[in-house]
Amino acid sequence: MGVVLMKYKNELIKSMSFLGRKKDTVFIGQSVSYSGNAIYNTLAEVPLSKKIEMPVFEDVQMGISIGMALNGFVVISCFPRFDFLICAMNQLVNHLDKIRQMSRGEMKPKVLIRTSIGSKAPLDGGPQHTQNYTNEMKKILNEVKVVFLDKPKMIFPAFKKAYEDKDSYSYLFVEHGDFYN
Amino acid sequence: MLDKNDLINFEEEIKKIYESGKIKAPIHLSGNNEEQLIKIFKKIKTNDWVFSTWRNHYHALLKGIPKEWLKKEIIAGRSMGINNIKHKFYSSAIVGGILPIALGTAQAIKLKKQKSMVWVFIGDMTFETGTFHECYKFSKNFKLPIKFVIEDNNMSTNSPTSKVWKKKSEAPKDVLKYSYKRKYPHHGTGGWVLF
Repeated sequence: MGVVLMKYKNELIKSMSFLGRKKDTVFIGQSVSYSGNAIYNTLAEVPLSKKIEMPVFEDVQMGISIGMALNGFVVISCFPRFDFLICAMNQLVNHLDKIRQMSRGEMKPKVLIRTSIGSKAPLDGGPQHTQNYTNEMKKILNEVKVVFLDKPKMIFPAFKKAYEDKDSYSYLFVEHGDFYN
Repeated sequence: MLDKNDLINFEEEIKKIYESGKIKAPIHLSGNNEEQLIKIFKKIKTNDWVFSTWRNHYHALLKGIPKEWLKKEIIAGRSMGINNIKHKFYSSAIVGGILPIALGTAQAIKLKKQKSMVWVFIGDMTFETGTFHECYKFSKNFKLPIKFVIEDNNMSTNSPTSKVWKKKSEAPKDVLKYSYKRKYPHHGTGGWVLF
């Protein structure tokens, strides 16, 4: 099990390192520049100059991601827990997920959202820090692709495919804290 | 640039088309703010981004979007969300929805050292929201190339902003604000239409 855990985290580091080498990427969110959550540790090889630490304003963060992507960036937008991503639902559902339809396919901002289901062991974060809304998101979102990263081997190909997606779709990647703590 | 009569005539034409039942979606007509907008848009360059609301026809025309293209979009039922990447024009029908997106576009302009800026048109109710407070504070602290414009008609759909908030907030000095009285209702033309 330990080897699998290590591999999961390493695959995330490898993926972020790959994205971090691209000229047009930027990484935003809470604890992207300052340690404090599991996602931070996966950004170890991303240059500091590519990271923008955000205040806690999840919906604004999602909107900033869309706006930056409209102006040419591929934005990796990090939300440390799924529970916190819920606070960004307006921008995610009403804007990012509708923008193609609203612009007759002209506007295709590419936002790669990362979030993580909080682990329950050794500490249980409780009802506001451990929820998994993957299935609900799949039902709500039409244009944003939802990917649950439950196996190490799927991680790097998934991020690479998303970055290289010629149709420029946005993606929501769901990770699990139990796998990389 | 279009003049006052061009703007008024465009909305009156849309009004007639709507009343003929050809537009099967809500429309939000502009009026009584032509002079204020013409003055503001003299400062807006072709390469600048404009973010607007559901009441966007005047903004779109003044940004340079062709009349016929806009008319076609409105007739197709997309009046509330006029979007055109070539003209760097985005509008949303969600209150406050454009603010964070505009902020991100301004952030990208700064990072890329582009010579353009972002203009965001919001209503007086949106100005009172927490989203505005967050976006204004962030843009000011990081000196982002963005200008907020409050179009104050004291109405949020059909609710008077000054009543529902008890009183209205003072706009910061670096935020543009003008007041006007809405010519048309929140949506539609004020008359009965048989669809």
